[in-house]
Amino acid sequence: MLKKHPLFGFILFGVILFLLSNRVDELRVFQGATVAIYVIAIASIILLTGYSGQVSLGHGALLAIGGYAAALSRNYWGAPVWLTFCIAVLAAALGGYLLGLAAARLSGPYLAGTTLALAIGLPSIANQFSILGGEQGLLYDIGLPPTSLGADFTQYKWYFWISALAALVTIYWLRNVMNSRYGRSWKAVRSNDVAAELAGINVGRNKVLAFTVSAGVAGLAGALLAMTISTVSPGAFPLALSFSLATGAVLSGVTTLGGVMIGAVTLVAIPEIVDTVVHRFESSEAVANNLPGLLVSTLLILTVLFVPNGPVEQMRARHEKRAKR
Amino acid sequence: MTQFIDMLLIGIGAGSIYALMAIAMVLVWRSTRVINFAQAGMALLSTYIGFELVQRTGNFWIALPLAMILGALFSALVEILLIRTLIKHSTTGPVAGIVPIIATLGLLGFIRATIGFIWGNQDIQIQPPLSKVGFKIGEDTIALSPMNLLVLLTVIGMVLILGFIFQKTSLGLSLRASAYSPEIAQLAGIRVGAIRTIGWAIAGAAGAAAGLLQTVNGTGAVSPDSLEFSLLLTFGFIAAVIGGLESLPGAVLGAVVLGLVLAVVQIYISGTLVFIVAFALLLLVLLIRPQGFIGAKAGRRA
Amino acid sequence: MIRTNRRKLALTSAVLAVVAMTASSLPAQAASDPGVTSTSIKLGITVPMTGIAAPGYNKIPGAMKAYFDYVNANGGVNGRKITLVIKDDQYIPTTAVAKANELILKDKVFALVGTLGTASTKAISASTQLAKRGIPSLFVNTGFSGFADKKAYPTTFSILPSYQMEAKIMGKFLKDKYDGKKLALIYQDDDFGRDALAGFKQAGVSFTTAIPYASGSQSLPATGAGWISKLKAAGTEVTVLFGVSSASTAALANAYAAGYKTQWVLGSVGGDATTIAASNKAYVPLLFGAKGFSFAPAPSDSADEYVKLFQSIYASAQPTQTFDNNVVAGMSNAFLAVQAIKAAGSNLTRAGLIKTIETKGASLANPFLTPLGYSATSHIGATGYWIGTYDQTGALKPDGGKYTVYTTDSGNGPVVESSYKRPAMPAKGLPN
Repeated sequence: MLKKHPLFGFILFGVILFLLSNRVDELRVFQGATVAIYVIAIASIILLTGYSGQVSLGHGALLAIGGYAAALSRNYWGAPVWLTFCIAVLAAALGGYLLGLAAARLSGPYLAGTTLALAIGLPSIANQFSILGGEQGLLYDIGLPPTSLGADFTQYKWYFWISALAALVTIYWLRNVMNSRYGRSWKAVRSNDVAAELAGINVGRNKVLAFTVSAGVAGLAGALLAMTISTVSPGAFPLALSFSLATGAVLSGVTTLGGVMIGAVTLVAIPEIVDTVVHRFESSEAVANNLPGLLVSTLLILTVLFVPNGPVEQMRARHEKRAKR
Repeated sequence: MTQFIDMLLIGIGAGSIYALMAIAMVLVWRSTRVINFAQAGMALLSTYIGFELVQRTGNFWIALPLAMILGALFSALVEILLIRTLIKHSTTGPVAGIVPIIATLGLLGFIRATIGFIWGNQDIQIQPPLSKVGFKIGEDTIALSPMNLLVLLTVIGMVLILGFIFQKTSLGLSLRASAYSPEIAQLAGIRVGAIRTIGWAIAGAAGAAAGLLQTVNGTGAVSPDSLEFSLLLTFGFIAAVIGGLESLPGAVLGAVVLGLVLAVVQIYISGTLVFIVAFALLLLVLLIRPQGFIGAKAGRRA
Repeated sequence: MIRTNRRKLALTSAVLAVVAMTASSLPAQAASDPGVTSTSIKLGITVPMTGIAAPGYNKIPGAMKAYFDYVNANGGVNGRKITLVIKDDQYIPTTAVAKANELILKDKVFALVGTLGTASTKAISASTQLAKRGIPSLFVNTGFSGFADKKAYPTTFSILPSYQMEAKIMGKFLKDKYDGKKLALIYQDDDFGRDALAGFKQAGVSFTTAIPYASGSQSLPATGAGWISKLKAAGTEVTVLFGVSSASTAALANAYAAGYKTQWVLGSVGGDATTIAASNKAYVPLLFGAKGFSFAPAPSDSADEYVKLFQSIYASAQPTQTFDNNVVAGMSNAFLAVQAIKAAGSNLTRAGLIKTIETKGASLANPFLTPLGYSATSHIGATGYWIGTYDQTGALKPDGGKYTVYTTDSGNGPVVESSYKRPAMPAKGLPN
């Protein structure tokens, strides 16, 4: 039944999550919200890179546009929260559209390098215009959870509900988009753009569309991220964020949405696990500072070396091999 | 007038530093077609090794070539262990684009953590071998010092030597062929794997020189998370793209142009626009002339 | 069949996530405040230990721990031993919030201490709802004046004087001493620098040349040389460096390379000679004759009772590290925290600690040479600076041979010479 009605599966999963949020402690709920946000952000990269074949090393900048748009619209227009999210999506989508226009003519290292430069350059714009709050950032307060939910409904649970709902809706929608003719045309262009052009697909427009949609989704993630830390600042969208998202996409398996949870959970869980492991052993400062980085990098290299296509594709390949025998 | 001359010298001086990094990047790109974040990590590690050598031998001129050799060896090792496995396991398509980037990113993190573990997270210092005080013309000191001159000469030397290797030797021909079309090169009898390793080794040596020279030309300090290194990598990349990723003289030209433009902005406009201008310049070049100043129109998609 | 596998994996990963979330205990009911028992107190700090902002700042937790260990070895505070949980936030606000949540919800610390960075402190305060939970955030390591506002941050206490205060005091000094000379200012183009500009404006100082630099660009090859070229062209006589250490280093080194002589005046953030020496010890002699501003005793002043104590504690705890302003800052922070905890009494609660600092904070023993401004209406820490001159070894020696402190506020108040006398250090620097 799940196969025939995937929507039912999503709703069921959503209900499970919501029930669970009442039973776990604050820290896990907060981390859950973070995972949901990463799911959205990684999905945007899977769309752009996995489906449309364009490598972006600067998605953090797109998240930043979303985050700042949400904060500004809330602070200066007093927009209700759901509207700030919509504005975030639109603003980031616009940014993605412009970037896509520029990027459509680029490929490979040029595209990656441009997105990289964007990720480095964009945050510094916040210092140029005082309306953007500068280095110390702007506050982004989405307010308290509605009183109808009860007096001890915590703020973090509210963030989790919002992020999880956004993630479920986004993934469901993206899934449909990727299975639609747009998704198929992206895949066609990715595999062989000359053939695609011959088949009647406008390659340039196709690529720009991918960028726009991907950016819009990233903008939503950015707004949600700003919500969880209640502020936006240039420091919250550093280059490391862009790299983490790209890493998460590769760990999930960049060509398919199916494994997106794996990447998101890994990004949140691994630093904490490593921290706990390191703290268990009373060690020198040199070890305590650097061992986490060492472990994370090693895990990353090993995963990328031996499971480069992601676990989903790996399993499928193994299945196919088995079927062929 | 003095300020104008100052600006030229400052711009060229800065450009020569960017050129060092840009050359290393173009080398890696031309030999292997991989964007290599590990390049930064290996340059960093080679700089630290150079530091150790300076400490032990007390002589920069011994440490530099030794660091370059060790950098070359380490780079070759990375190619054999990491890159070959990557190429063996991954398929074509989008995975082929992004996976090596993530792998080399992981390597960068690994190198940083290892350096922090061995040498600590504070700055270490390397004293410059030549004076950084500018030459005097009459009463004025100009913005050119023996150290600046050393960097300039190194850049010119690298372009000449590497250019000679690439254009005039059979090794160079093999390198270019293997990068451009590995399958056909293999059919022609070139041992593509070994050639690629050599390409990485050369790039590793260049990276080591770049790392050491840019450190002593700057404050002389370096740490595992050094901001300077990250910045120079980005600017080196921008320089390489402006000049054309396919050509070494192009990389140098791009670097000098970048250095001059930034110097003009710095001195005549406002220092706050430096990053924005660099990015805008990159975007401009990519939009108008994506193959860079010196670059043949791409017949093959990079 | 392919679809089945993909769905299987999606389901598996979903289940995994759910299991991961459930695999943690539910919060226990706490009778007293978390993080404090009859024999122990747990404090937490988020600070960049790795990452670009780390060099220098990552010495602060080690220095704090050194002092806490010293106190613990001598009986603790009111019989309680202090543990410091250190979390690396890499100067990224999102990481800072995540780590602060770990400190508050997992490690269950009694209070946060020494949080570093304006953006991170703001994010932590807003996101973890410090005010609502009543968690004290003691002595934050930032010069942003907003944290002293009790209404906005009821449980947060500043300690460093604000950048505006420093600029006002420096401005008065410039007007008094260098009236009529050509002044130049090199400042960072963000809130740090703009706060300074506001302070200078209030002091009525005008600069012939004002050079802003984009944060991070000071490390690029051309930048420092460009500054000196401009200064030379303008014929500057007095140059104020109100940036970070790497900017000071760039300015000093390039001035030397260009043979450019000027009277340097360094702000406290970028003026630590030991940090400059850590970058390149050849630059330290370039500081000779420069003016510097500070509010704590100079790290080189071994005659000062606090510095002497800190030096000996640090030398045995961290023998391989140099004793610099970061260490003094960390140990002073820890010292004040211990004094506050002691004054809060044996029945230690979060609310009680906050009240104690508000009522008694200004009179607690501490190494700073300026008065502290804690009161029921304000959470301001140090409020002033003393002015000194660097000698050939990079030691900052107070002008006139003794520490003359000037105090002001972050608003329109005047700069006055303070008659504050620092209370004597308690015996052996312990909470007796």
